[in-house]
Amino acid sequence: MISREEVLQLAELARLKIADTEVAGLQKDISNILEYVGQISAVQGKNQGSTLDQGSSRSNLMREDLPRAEGDTMGGKEESLRAAFPKKENGYNVVRKIIQKDE
Amino acid sequence: MSDLNTLSITEASKKLAAGEITAVDLARACLEEIKKRNTDLNAYLEVFDDVEKQAEAADARRAAGESHPLLGIPLAIKDNILIEGRKVSAASKILENYVASYDATVIKKLKDAGAVFIGRTNMDEFALGGSTENSAFGVTKNPHDKSRVAGGTSGGSAAAVAAHMALGALGSDTGGSVRNPASFCGVVGMKPTYGAVSRSGLIAAVSSFDQIGPITKTIEDAELLFNTIRGRDTLDSTSIDESFYPKRTEKKVVGFPAEMNIDRGSFDVGGVGQKFKETLFSLKEKGYQLKSIDLPSLKPALAAYYVINFAEVSTNLSRFDGIRYGLSLKGKNLFDDYAKSRGEGFGPETRRRIMLGTYVLSAGYYDAYYGKATAARAQLRKEFEEAFKSVDVILTPTMPTPAWLIGEKSDPLSAYLADAFTVPANLTGNPAISVPAGTVDGLPTGLQLTAAHGDEAALFSAGLLLQ
Repeated sequence: MISREEVLQLAELARLKIADTEVAGLQKDISNILEYVGQISAVQGKNQGSTLDQGSSRSNLMREDLPRAEGDTMGGKEESLRAAFPKKENGYNVVRKIIQKDE
Repeated sequence: MSDLNTLSITEASKKLAAGEITAVDLARACLEEIKKRNTDLNAYLEVFDDVEKQAEAADARRAAGESHPLLGIPLAIKDNILIEGRKVSAASKILENYVASYDATVIKKLKDAGAVFIGRTNMDEFALGGSTENSAFGVTKNPHDKSRVAGGTSGGSAAAVAAHMALGALGSDTGGSVRNPASFCGVVGMKPTYGAVSRSGLIAAVSSFDQIGPITKTIEDAELLFNTIRGRDTLDSTSIDESFYPKRTEKKVVGFPAEMNIDRGSFDVGGVGQKFKETLFSLKEKGYQLKSIDLPSLKPALAAYYVINFAEVSTNLSRFDGIRYGLSLKGKNLFDDYAKSRGEGFGPETRRRIMLGTYVLSAGYYDAYYGKATAARAQLRKEFEEAFKSVDVILTPTMPTPAWLIGEKSDPLSAYLADAFTVPANLTGNPAISVPAGTVDGLPTGLQLTAAHGDEAALFSAGLLLQ
């Protein structure tokens, strides 16, 4: 079974805050699931890289690099994109200062 | 004419074209049924407030001379497909009030055809699950037995169609999410060939598996919806056109995996197995040859599927960070902002899969899990390609059992194991359809047909024989 510390480390790597009461259940579930999917290690053969290469497209579908016009499916969406932003002030989108003094 | 909502799309379309009914009549009939049943079933997360207006617009387009088989047809749309200006949440708290800023390509095509959108349907959060029990907004109940699940992840779409609260619906299928609820609710559900339908505007779950597909009352309706939404799209770099795979000629041969040995009875899935056998023999009577095929890589397929699922889910969902849109919670620093927004915004199954994906992609485990899963996937694809040299379609059950009781599969692994028949088509990219096959213990069940890449035509023609 994976340890409590491993669960906490996975949560940190995955940027997920989990409640202390959840840890034991996650230890059990994650261990069971890993044990089941672990049978994959018996498969012969090498890593095939990006799974998309196995899919339908053997090459990417490219499009012209042109600005989108108003009325186009993807054009003229600035306002609605701005409206989705959680915090706004005086017409600016507000984010946390990321360069901080050493504590 | 109060039962217009029970019509198939094809039937309603004929009546609309003949002027016997209007789009407004159809929309009202569905809304009436929704009023009666949706509170109970929880199929729709939201019923749009302009359904009658959309129907009036469709009637006006017809009066002006337009005609399309979907003009004025009321459809339900899964809550992970974007319709501009409307909420779309993937049944997650993290996107609870998110408003779509553009139309998905499938939506644009349906708008051009004149379809009417009734509302957005419930699903497992971010299409992770198989029963709609992982929705942040409550489970969808099975219209045939309210103590049971409707299946998933497109459970709301299948329940809406089965309960006649829409004439048809769109779902999305990552590992069976269209076919599983179709089977549980007794309707038709189809996953197209990988790339056949554009995913632009579909909230991504597992990008190398996801396909949008129709959920309908009949095969003809599924074909009609598929033909309307298919096609290459510059906004989805993996999309393909109809000529991508060479045309095939019918062989009149139905394959079945050798593991399901029909004579020795080693195929043990109870009543569903019985249905499978009966149907296989009925196809023989209809002039099809039966052929047992070897697909040894089916054995590790489910494990390979889940490894790739976890890996891609953890990367796809990293975009939800609480900074640019969606739920945004403040912590004591930037790391805390992320962890809090994601920890509280995502439900338990989503968090579990993100952590499992983080695990299988981490440096020490990557080759043993993800690397091996891609090898198994490539091998399975080869085996399918080989099998389709001698058969038109492969028949299997869709699900090993009819719908289970709500809460019955609380252990996540036991729910994963129910996906054994549906995930192979997502691993290989083949098209597959679930067709109703009567009832087992009084509950609907479905059988699955899988065809060669690009050969949806074989699904429809064999499907008609089962219908």
